[in-house]
Amino acid sequence: MSNTDQRGIVATTIDATNPSDMQELHSRRDARHERMFRWLLKGCALLVLAALLGAAGATLWGGRDAFATFGWHFLISDAWDPGNDVYGALVPVYGTLITSFIALLIAVPVSFGIAVYLSEVAPAWLRAPVASAIELLAGIPSIIYGMWGLFIFAPFFADHIKPWLTNNLGNQPDDGKLSWVAEHVPFIGKLFGSDYPFGASILVAGIVLAIMVIPFISSVMREVFQTVPTRLKESAYALGSSTWEVSWDIVLPYTRSAVIGGIFLGLGRALGETMAVTFVLGNAMNLSASLLDPGTSIASTIANQFSEAAGLQKSSLMALAFLLFVVTFIVLLIARLMLRRLASKEGR
Amino acid sequence: MTDSALPTNSPSVEAPVAATKLAVRDLHFYYNGFHALKGINMEVPEKQVTAIIGPSGCGKSTLLRIFNRIYSIYPKLEAKGEIILDGENILDSRYSMNRLRSKVGMVFQKPVPFPMTIFENVAYGIRHHEKLSKSEMDDRVEQALRSAALWDEVKDKLKQNALGLSGGQQQRLCIARAVALKPEVLLLDEPTSALDPIATGRIEQLVEELKSQFTIVIVTHNMQQAARVSDLTAFMYLGELIEFDQTEKIFTKPGKKQTEDYITGRFG
Amino acid sequence: MNALYTRRLVTNAVAMTLSTLATLVGLAFLAWILWETLRQGIGAIDLKLFTKITAYGEDGGLLNSMVGSLIINFVGIAIATPIGVLAGTWLAEYANRTKLGETIRFLNDILLSAPSIVLGLFVYTIIVLPSTALTNGSTTFSGFAGGVALALIALPVIVRTTDEMLRLVPSTLREAALSLGVPQWKLTLQILIRAARSGIITGVLLALARISGETAPLLFTAFGNNYMAVNPMDKMSSLPQIIYQYANDPGEAMHALAWAGAFVITMFVLLLSLASRLILSRTKVSHD
Repeated sequence: MSNTDQRGIVATTIDATNPSDMQELHSRRDARHERMFRWLLKGCALLVLAALLGAAGATLWGGRDAFATFGWHFLISDAWDPGNDVYGALVPVYGTLITSFIALLIAVPVSFGIAVYLSEVAPAWLRAPVASAIELLAGIPSIIYGMWGLFIFAPFFADHIKPWLTNNLGNQPDDGKLSWVAEHVPFIGKLFGSDYPFGASILVAGIVLAIMVIPFISSVMREVFQTVPTRLKESAYALGSSTWEVSWDIVLPYTRSAVIGGIFLGLGRALGETMAVTFVLGNAMNLSASLLDPGTSIASTIANQFSEAAGLQKSSLMALAFLLFVVTFIVLLIARLMLRRLASKEGR
Repeated sequence: MTDSALPTNSPSVEAPVAATKLAVRDLHFYYNGFHALKGINMEVPEKQVTAIIGPSGCGKSTLLRIFNRIYSIYPKLEAKGEIILDGENILDSRYSMNRLRSKVGMVFQKPVPFPMTIFENVAYGIRHHEKLSKSEMDDRVEQALRSAALWDEVKDKLKQNALGLSGGQQQRLCIARAVALKPEVLLLDEPTSALDPIATGRIEQLVEELKSQFTIVIVTHNMQQAARVSDLTAFMYLGELIEFDQTEKIFTKPGKKQTEDYITGRFG
Repeated sequence: MNALYTRRLVTNAVAMTLSTLATLVGLAFLAWILWETLRQGIGAIDLKLFTKITAYGEDGGLLNSMVGSLIINFVGIAIATPIGVLAGTWLAEYANRTKLGETIRFLNDILLSAPSIVLGLFVYTIIVLPSTALTNGSTTFSGFAGGVALALIALPVIVRTTDEMLRLVPSTLREAALSLGVPQWKLTLQILIRAARSGIITGVLLALARISGETAPLLFTAFGNNYMAVNPMDKMSSLPQIIYQYANDPGEAMHALAWAGAFVITMFVLLLSLASRLILSRTKVSHD
């Protein structure tokens, strides 16, 4: 395609009648477009990485004043005094951790029960509709959970469940007489004693969170239960095992890492949840041992205070956000790693 | 396309066949370090049907797929040696893919129509190589569909989605799509293994008709099919070309014991 | 021996009962939540919801919040969809099984469950704060910033669905197009994405459903507005944000409006889920 003219300059001429030349040109043009396309795609994919780095970086940057001012003390201080500009993360962190813990305590067995039901117990025609219904729970936006929790569940709890708990397990019963359990079992009294008149509390927040994460955990469990080779289950059945024994002794151990992964996934979700918890936690910036007292979480503290905050308070809220992001990131990292472990066992 | 040699269309002729279209010289192929093809030497004659047979894993599909370098999109695959097409080595990195793919077309095992209308399926490939007016394109599409013996069945529904065709029709559409580019060589990778016997019969008939225009290389695991449609047969085993000769000879008096064992079904 | 069998039988019976119970409990809560939302919401539905903007007291509606939600959601999906589809395409077609591809896929899954409030603060830092500095002090919340925050939440959903749907397309389709001499970028855009089209659309719908209910990130990006705003550069109200505001208000009338808003969102999300299920089931029938 190239030739040298009289001046000795190498010129590239394209002979349009030579199909080989045209194809060469097309090839080069295609290769150029191909490269541009690949770069565009890769750039978009890298934005995912950028979003994560950005979130971590932005909150760390926003919280630098708080970290600089309070240092490590920030993590263990329960102060929160806008008047004197002293802030500590302990109360929100405690709230986040304890509500998530309660949520998992309730959600894990219930999710396991649902997963077993859907994979082993339910008749075939019932499986798909029930599974879809449970997944619908996952689709309900968290603010709806918040509304329901605040206006329906918390009052219900305050009227019907809380009195029973405070009177039978708590250390501040209405009639002043401590129950046997409250007297003899350590900690129970403190956990369930409360004179807070409303339903908003750590326990209620934990319950609402539990309902929110149940569909996540149970759907992961159900998916992995279905990957257990049928011949494995059939050989156990052939030996006379009952349905329960197959689930507990064969299916669960086989899918153990993925089940743990699913639980961590639920935990990650629970830690970061804002609205469902904010509505029912009571927004009380004090540390109480009782599960029936109000409290606050990292996400609710930020949601409630950020708009009006300034200066060191704002920085402290950013610092809280950074802590939340780091903890959630680690939990989700573990979750995904455990889930991938089972997938690789499958050869997927 | 040039008609340089005398076509030989009687498979029972013992004399050497027409000019070579594709010459494979000392071809080695590796994937992931595994030596999949070992020193293949083969001369594929022009405008004849060459069948490649052999047990699973012998490398017949691998060899076929080197003829249009479709392997190049996958990593860790490497070919060494030469394949000469019309005097040029197609394995040379300077040989443009566009040119190769317009000269060598391929039809796959499972019919894969594009998610477009029947007309578009055939026109799509042409558009990448040539600029044609609407009437020219209409003619080309009709020509291709006729070559694939599909025109009569679809001429009234060219604007319908190709996914609505039956399996056999879809495969003929894929053949139409490939011949629309007016290639010189047509590679068929087990083209009937996903089809019912009637559809299979029609495609075999088509191959017989197409060889007057194209050099055809067909991979098949069905020995009877190879015996039916091909002029020459190559038998491969564990990555090596064991025997390559006129079909009639391979199936009646094979030269190598391994060939004979495979033909008679001593191993599959 | 019999004692052993009996014990095992009882354990099994108890376990089966408990698992059925667990499922019933889950379904009961679902029913309770949906029922209450329906009941409280329908009771508060009134024409003025759709015709009047938010105002304190009995006479307010939700018009500006609904319009705001539409605009902010649209901005979010408009940003997230092209980026998400291209990123998912990269993962499935160009980086499948490479180290970088696996890493990005992994990180995408983490982003999927990341706390949305933190993503909201990220957008606050990179959009709201700098634009406040540019306008000398008055904090410039904007519907656009809210849209960007929602885009960050929608992005991983779309990336993941596109990635998975493209990987389902048989590789023979790719090879058939390449054999015709079609360059890889063209066949990816014109054939593969078209083949995976319904799955990708489902992903977009799911992402939309997910962002429709997001509240926390909007609090510091779009912030809210008592008046109608249609310019994305203005502060903007949105349904989730107004629900949050009104639920925390002592007035009963405000609570009723909050329920109405909750009802509208729930209906919208349920319709989207239904639509995406329909699309997916329809393609399954027509394909093989």
